Formats: sequence, structure tokens, C-alpha cells
Amino acid sequence: MMGGTTRFTGVLSLAAVLALACGGAGGGGAAATTTTGEDLVIGVPMSITGSQSKEGALAKQGYDMWLQWINQQGGINVKSVKHKVQLKYEDDTSKADISAQLTQKLITEEKAQFLLGPYGSATTASDAVVAEKNSIPMVEGNGAAQAIFSQGYKYVFGVLSPANVYLTGVLDMAATLSPKPATVAMLAADDNFSQEVAKAVTEYAPSKGFQIVYSDKYPNGSTNLSGLVANAKARNPDIVLNSGHLQEAIAIHKAAKDLKLDAKLSAYSVGPSTPDYIVALGKDANYVFDGSQWTPQVKYTPAFYLTVQDYVASYKKQFNTQDDPDYHVAESTAACLALQKAIENAGSLKPDKVRDALAALNVTTFFGQIKFDSRGINTFKPMVVEQIQDGKHHTVWPSSVADTKPQYPTPSWSNR
Amino acid sequence: MTTSLGPPSSEEATGLEAPPSLRVLDRPRLRRLLVLVFMLALIVVLLAPLTATDQADSLGVPQLVDRSQIRILTTIAMFVVMASAWNLVGGLTGYSSFGNVAFFGLGAYTCAVAVDAHRLHLPMAAAIALAPVIPAAFATLVGLPLLRLRGHYFAIATLGTAVAVGEVVKNIDYLGGATGLFPPILHRADLLFLYMMVGAALLAVLVSRLILRSRFGYGLIAIRENEEAAGVIGVNTTAYKVGAFAVAAALTGLAGGVFAVWNSFINQELGFSLDFNIQMILMAVLGGAGTLFGPVLGAIVLELLIQNLAGRSDVAVYAQIGLGLLLAVTVIFVPRGIIAFFGGGSRLSLTHLRRSLRETGV
Amino acid sequence: MQLFLQQVVLGLLIGGVYVAVAIGFSLVWGILNIVNLAHGALVIVGAYLTWLLFARARLDPFLALPIVAVALFAFGYALQRALINRVIRAPLFFTLLLTFGVNLVIVNALLVIFKSDFRSVTPGYSGSGFGIAGVQVPYIRLAALGVAVVVAVAVGWLLNRTRTGAAIQAVGADRDAARLVGIDLRHVYALTFAVAAACAGVAGGLISTIQAITPTAGEPYTLQAFVVVVLGGLGRVGATVVGGLVFGMVETLGQTMVPGLGAGWANAIAFAILVLVLVVRPQGLMGRIA
Repeated sequence: MMGGTTRFTGVLSLAAVLALACGGAGGGGAAATTTTGEDLVIGVPMSITGSQSKEGALAKQGYDMWLQWINQQGGINVKSVKHKVQLKYEDDTSKADISAQLTQKLITEEKAQFLLGPYGSATTASDAVVAEKNSIPMVEGNGAAQAIFSQGYKYVFGVLSPANVYLTGVLDMAATLSPKPATVAMLAADDNFSQEVAKAVTEYAPSKGFQIVYSDKYPNGSTNLSGLVANAKARNPDIVLNSGHLQEAIAIHKAAKDLKLDAKLSAYSVGPSTPDYIVALGKDANYVFDGSQWTPQVKYTPAFYLTVQDYVASYKKQFNTQDDPDYHVAESTAACLALQKAIENAGSLKPDKVRDALAALNVTTFFGQIKFDSRGINTFKPMVVEQIQDGKHHTVWPSSVADTKPQYPTPSWSNR
Repeated sequence: MTTSLGPPSSEEATGLEAPPSLRVLDRPRLRRLLVLVFMLALIVVLLAPLTATDQADSLGVPQLVDRSQIRILTTIAMFVVMASAWNLVGGLTGYSSFGNVAFFGLGAYTCAVAVDAHRLHLPMAAAIALAPVIPAAFATLVGLPLLRLRGHYFAIATLGTAVAVGEVVKNIDYLGGATGLFPPILHRADLLFLYMMVGAALLAVLVSRLILRSRFGYGLIAIRENEEAAGVIGVNTTAYKVGAFAVAAALTGLAGGVFAVWNSFINQELGFSLDFNIQMILMAVLGGAGTLFGPVLGAIVLELLIQNLAGRSDVAVYAQIGLGLLLAVTVIFVPRGIIAFFGGGSRLSLTHLRRSLRETGV
Repeated sequence: MQLFLQQVVLGLLIGGVYVAVAIGFSLVWGILNIVNLAHGALVIVGAYLTWLLFARARLDPFLALPIVAVALFAFGYALQRALINRVIRAPLFFTLLLTFGVNLVIVNALLVIFKSDFRSVTPGYSGSGFGIAGVQVPYIRLAALGVAVVVAVAVGWLLNRTRTGAAIQAVGADRDAARLVGIDLRHVYALTFAVAAACAGVAGGLISTIQAITPTAGEPYTLQAFVVVVLGGLGRVGATVVGGLVFGMVETLGQTMVPGLGAGWANAIAFAILVLVLVVRPQGLMGRIA
């Protein structure tokens, strides 16, 4: 790094001399000239292949969107020196041990100065350890399990809302609907993210006047959930909640149709927000709610970067698609924005200074407010509730950002 | 009845052999030279990480090995332990266990629970010392019923046990439940963990060597060749089998324990990883099951291969296909493993390949 | 009571799928003494083939099944003849490793071709069913059970009432004696594996209508086939049918009807049962000692 600093100082001095010369000769405007410094390398261990490759692909889209934009601006501005960004991806094949090894490799051999998070809570936990050991700040947007943030790590920051608020928004919304639903069935996969979501629901529901009539967990990745759904149906729940991933969200809804479970409200964390869900279920996906980190209908006013509408348009253009970006894309871009802002605020590329800037960060973006609590996770941004209506996603809660009312109650299967 | 694994018996030395000019590796001097070179390389590789310490810096010694490579070396050492341990049961005794990862997980969780501030809160040394104990006890307990099974049934039963243990652990909150456990991070301890793992690897090889040359080892081989006959000549087959199982469990558990504190994170997916399970078997078999250095060689070669291919998304799928093909080829053409190329009585002859195909094919 | 009946029905219906999956596996194990770790991969290949025919040719999945069976038959024959025949007499874990390698190749080839997107076969009648006394019986699952029964009967008929079947059973009983009588071992082995692959393919077709598929979705089915065969016992088709149905019911009822034990323990229970049966009664509920 020695050579780089000397060259950098040299360039800066030259620029200063030139600037003075120009100022003396032409008397033109006192425009701040920025020079170009060395590229900034950011390491990204990501599940490009493997069991989480679909979600990993979405996260990568989010990172790439920011990459294209920031380099169009000339790079990150650190005290008038712009540094173009290089994102170095390594494929961890969705495995936590490989992800940790690759994170170390990114830091040591590929000279990553900062890290963006991988997909998934287990991989994020493993990589967080490496980031801590190397004192390199890691900003992530795809691992919501709170356990990662209860270890007292100083270098790990999560821009997304933690797991425990994924479905509480749905309960908040349900409390305002009429006829007010009374009973809740909570199904959850047994991975740690899903369990945190479920635990929060079980604790929160009574305070809103709901009674949990059935609660059970199933092995992660299960495909045969009819038995559970039959059990839930026997208890006549008004609300059916599931905390799991795409595969299970599909399986449970299919089972609900098979068994004629007519809930007034069905809400799943993860699953309904992805385009695959509607493709897999077709018309049956209608009326399903989900708790989302972000939807294209939210109305935040950003302090920098694109507005919500511009973001959506830019996504469609960059990836040549008619689909809206799903929240996995948005939360990944948000992670990049947090890192960028912290570097700009710190005015330095030194890891410790950026780390402190991250801890103090408070900014509103298209994704919402980004501010980290003392543990390092963003508890300041609310979750949003979406619903699939006529094959399209709509934001239905909170009303400040909703674009339409929730369709409630869900008609019974025989009436559709 | 079946082709035996391990050093070739006298009956196989007869038969068609290739002309002496092809059997280059048969010459004892060349072989000794190769072993010497290998040993030297090993010593260099093991001492090189010391150049990364502060003392080395202050002496002006250039750093030869970076943190990423130290991590890889630690992983290789871990697999040397696991492959050698598997070899005791699968290679020597002839009982292919498909569930040794259960011991890894139990060792890892034992250590993690022991070291956890909200649980046992023991010092790390004590936790690591405890790591082999629970797996060994578990192996003795389940070994008694399981080792009565043979062949496929034993393989499946051990696999089932490993999966069941992992699932049970995931459901118990004291063991971290679905979230897992987070042993505290030790900063600047890369070399400490490397040498701990290497120490475990040396221990594993030492134990294997001791066993191979002892009555216990001969008893195990006898069990592999013909269990009924072994029983008849006075080998206490149950005791020997369970003993081998317990030793393998203790070693694997030790590797797990060190892993837990090194990685500072353990969950069911990591501790009972089916990937690790398959890898340790592959390493032992590809390297040469039943031999002393076969598993070591297999661990080094396979892990280096895996690490070199890691991270590249374009090759990821093809790497897996390649691994599958490698497996098929090895199993069909080089059943004795890589080490066979270095053993006495070279296996490089075409005739031998054809013979082994005839032996195993329809 | 109604809930209990519903669970029993569900258990039987899923048990049918398990039977379809396990029949081929049991055949290969019983006759060739090979535990085929690539069985789940063959199932998933069948599932993808069904999906392809449905998505591109608008062919109803149940009508596609015979096509899938023939395709997998050919593939299985080639695989056995070219590859697995070479290690039949090698120590057991060589065949395990070989089939594991084959599994890797097949699954990753599928990943290259189809990527990891979830696919689903949803003909117009999916989700509909009929109700008896409040117990729902979905049509598709009922049809799957029907197909499984047909497959089991067909295989049983093949084994017991045809010359080919007699040859297969002879080879399974005593390989050398069979060779002495003039049976072409290589051909019969390949034929057996081919039949097993065809069954696996049909099972895959059924599965594609019930769940979303992805290349790695076949792995659990290999393990489940183990459990069914161990539970029912090696040897006769009837044993596999019993094993499959029993396992389907135990899994469903165990998941949902045992108080205090959540479905999260499902896998642990399944494997505990497996190990228990292996240790206490290795020949299974109905089989002979293999």
C-alpha cells in the first residue's frame, strides 16, 4: 500500500498546483475539483450457486445496481478524491464453512478493504466472525437473525429489520380489520431465522387481542406439510401464519387448498414476495400476505441515491425485466448505500474510522431509515405488509405507504 | 471373497506383472527418496506459518504464509484427523461408517457448551480436553448395538444415527437450538489453532501407527478379512470393534472441539455437515483405506483440490460433476487409492488394472 | 376423530408415493445387493421429464408417465451396463461411492440444464378433491396412490409370472448358479436396474404434481427409500408396499398427533425408527434376512 499512498499524494499535489494555476489564470468558478484515487475493493462472499442461489442472485442484483450507479458517479467521494469501486465476488455455494474461508481469502489475498454480507443467517454468522477477527467492517442486508447481533461484534452491521418484526406488522394490520380475526395458527420452519420470527409472533399476538390456537415447527425444507395443515385446520384459525422459506410457503398453501383450509387471512414470511411464488401457484396465490422489508410502493424521501420510482425503473432497465425488484434486491443495495455514506462521512478509507461512522450513521434512503442500534442492527426501519391481489403485489400496511386496501376476508376455496 | 484393502497380501504378488522397466516406483531407494522429500516438504509447510508472527517480523523474516493459507492448512489438518479416524473403522476393521460426522458434531458442541459464558464457562483448554470424551462415550454406547450389523445395514444405521443426533441437537435450547452457539472470538490466535489442529493430526497418525503395529490392529484386520474366523481364533470381536469405534470417535470429536473454538460459531448444519461426512470417507478411500498414510495423502490432495476450486461460480457445478467422475474412475480403476502408487508392488501396470476390473466386475 | 381420520388418509396417500419411490430401490438392493445412492437423482430426473412434457407439450402428467418410464428404463440400462456392472463384486463402499459419484453428476447436470428454479406441475385439477364426512381427499394424491399400486402390481407380476422375472430372481438368489444355467448376468443386472429406474422415474412424475421440484429435491427420497425398505423388509414387493404405507402413516401421525412432540422432531423420529428397526429386527416387518 506504500506505493499507492505516495502516488496518491503526488497526484494530489499536482492537482493542487494545477488548480491554483487555473484559478490564477482564468478566474473561473471555485469549483471543487475531485481527483481519482485508487480503486476501492469490496469483498462479497455470495451464494451464487447452491441451495440459496436464487436468493443470492437477487442479492447480487442489488449490489450490482449500486456498483453501476456509483461508478457512473466516478466512485465514492473521500475528501474530494473519488475511488471507483470493484466488487469482488466469491461463490460460497451456500455453505457456511466455505463462506468463512472465502471471506478470509477476500481480505488477505484479494485485498478487500470492506465486506458486503452474504445471503442467509448461518453464512452471515460465520463470515461475521472472520470480519471481526480481521477488524474489517462488514455491512449486510440479508441475514436477519438477531443472534448474530447479540455477540458484541463491533464490525458487523445489518441494514435490514431484524427477524422478530417480520410478521408483527401483519398482526398490527389484522387488528384494524373487521370483522376482527381472533385466532392464529403459527407454523414455522426449524431454522433460526424462522424460529425467531415465530417466537416474536407468539409473544406479540396476545397483546393485540389474538389467541394462538396452534403452533408447531417443521424441519427446514420439508415438502410434505399436509399433516400440519390438517392439524391447523382442525383448530379453525382465522389467521394462518408461516415463517419459513419459499419451498415451504408453496407447500403449505397447496396443502391449504387440498384440505380446504379456509383462513380469513394467510400471511407468510419470505416466499410470496418473490416472483417464483406467483408462477408456482398461479391464481391460488391471490389474497396471500407477506411481511416485507420493502416494497416498490413505499414513500420514503431519500437523502441521496435514487428515489423509489427511479430505483424500480433503473432495475427494470438494468436487468431487462418487467418484474419489480423484490426486497432482497433492495436490502442489498441499502447495505451498499450505508457503507458508502459511512465512508463519505468518515472522510477516510481506514477501517476503524469507517466503522465508527457506521455506528453513528443516520440517513434516509429509498429503503427507509438506516440507523443501527447499539448491537449493530437496524431497528429503526419498519416492516411493510404486502398482499398479492390479482396476480400483482400491492402494499397494504402501514397506511402511510399503502397503495391500496387489504382484500379481507379471503374468500373460501370453493368460492374462488 | 472380496478384494481386500490395505497392503497387498502375498497371493496378489503372483500373477502377471508388468516388465521391470515400468515399475519405477518399486525401487526401494526411489521410494525412500520420495518419502524423505515428502517429509521435508511437510516440515517446511508446518514451520512456514511461524513467519507470520510478530517475532518473525521483528527479526526481519519475510512472511511466507498469509492468513488465508493458514486457514486452509488448519482445515487440511482437521481432515487428516477425521480421515485417519474413519480409516480405523472403515479401512482397518472393514466397517464402513457413514455417520462419523456425529462425533465431530458432538465434540464441537461439547466444547462450545463448555466454553460458553452462560453455560459451563470453562477455560478453553479444559473444553478442548473434554471434546473427545462425549463422542467416545456415545460411540461406546451406540456401538454395542450398531456394530452387530454388517455391510449396508451398518452404513445406513450409522448415517441414520448421525442425522438423528443432529436433529435432536437442533431441538434443544441449551445446545443453542436452531441458532447455534457462539464461542468467544480469540483475536490473533490463528497460529494457536493451526498448531492445535496439526497436533491433533499428528496424534491421529501416531495412534493409527500404534494400532497398526499392535495386536489390537491385527485383530481389527482379522475382523475385516473374516470376522467369524477371527472370533474362532480368540479375538474378542465385540470389544475390538467397539474399541476402534470409540477411538475413532474420540479423535473425530477432538477435531470437532478445536473447530468449534476456532470458527467461533457452531450450528447443526456445520457440526453435522453431510459434506464433512462424505469428505472424510472420500479422503480415506481415495488416499488408500487401510494404510497409514493413505488418509493423510487423501486429505491433503482432496482438500487442496476443493480449496482451489472454491469461490469460482462458473466452475462450481462442473467441479461437482468432476468430483463425481473422479469418484467413479477411482473406484473402478484405482480402488486401492493414491497411496498404491507408492507402495511396494506397483499398481501402475495395465495388467493389474485389467485384473482388478475382472475381480470386481460381473 | 375427524382430524384423526384425515391424518390417516393423508398418511396413506403420501405412503403411496413412498411406495413408488421405494420399489425400484428395493429391487436393486435385493437383487444386485447395491444400495443406490443415486436413486433420488433418478426420481428427480423423472420429475423434470414430466415437467418438461407438461410445460412444453401440454401433456397431462399422468399421461406422461409411460413415456417417462421408458426413458428412464433406457437410461438405467445404460448406466448399469456401462458403469455399475464393473464394481458389483467390489467391497460395498465402492458401490456406495460410485453411486454417490453418479448422484453428483446427475444432480449437477440438472443444475446446469434447469438451474435451481422451483418448478411445479399444476394441471387444472390440482387442488380439487372430494370430501367424505369432512375428510378431504385430493384427487391428485389419490391418483398418485393408484399409480403406485399399479406399479407395485406390475413389478410383482414381472417378477413372479414372467421368465425374465424368474431370471432376475435366480440371479438374486444365487449368482453363480444362475450363470451356470446360462443366464446372461450382465444383461439381467442391467434389466433389473432399468426396471428400478423406470419405477423411480414414475415416482418422480407423481412427485412433480405434489410438490415444487428443484435438482436437489431428490436427496431426501433416497433416504426415505432406505427407511421404507428397512421397515418393510427386503425381498418381496409386498413388503415394500407395506413398508411404504406404514412409513407414510407413521410420519404423518407422528408429526401431528403425538402431544408434546412437535413436527420439528420428524426427522429425528424417522431416523430413530430406522436405527431401532435395524438393530432390533433387521429383516423388517415382512422381509427375509438379506
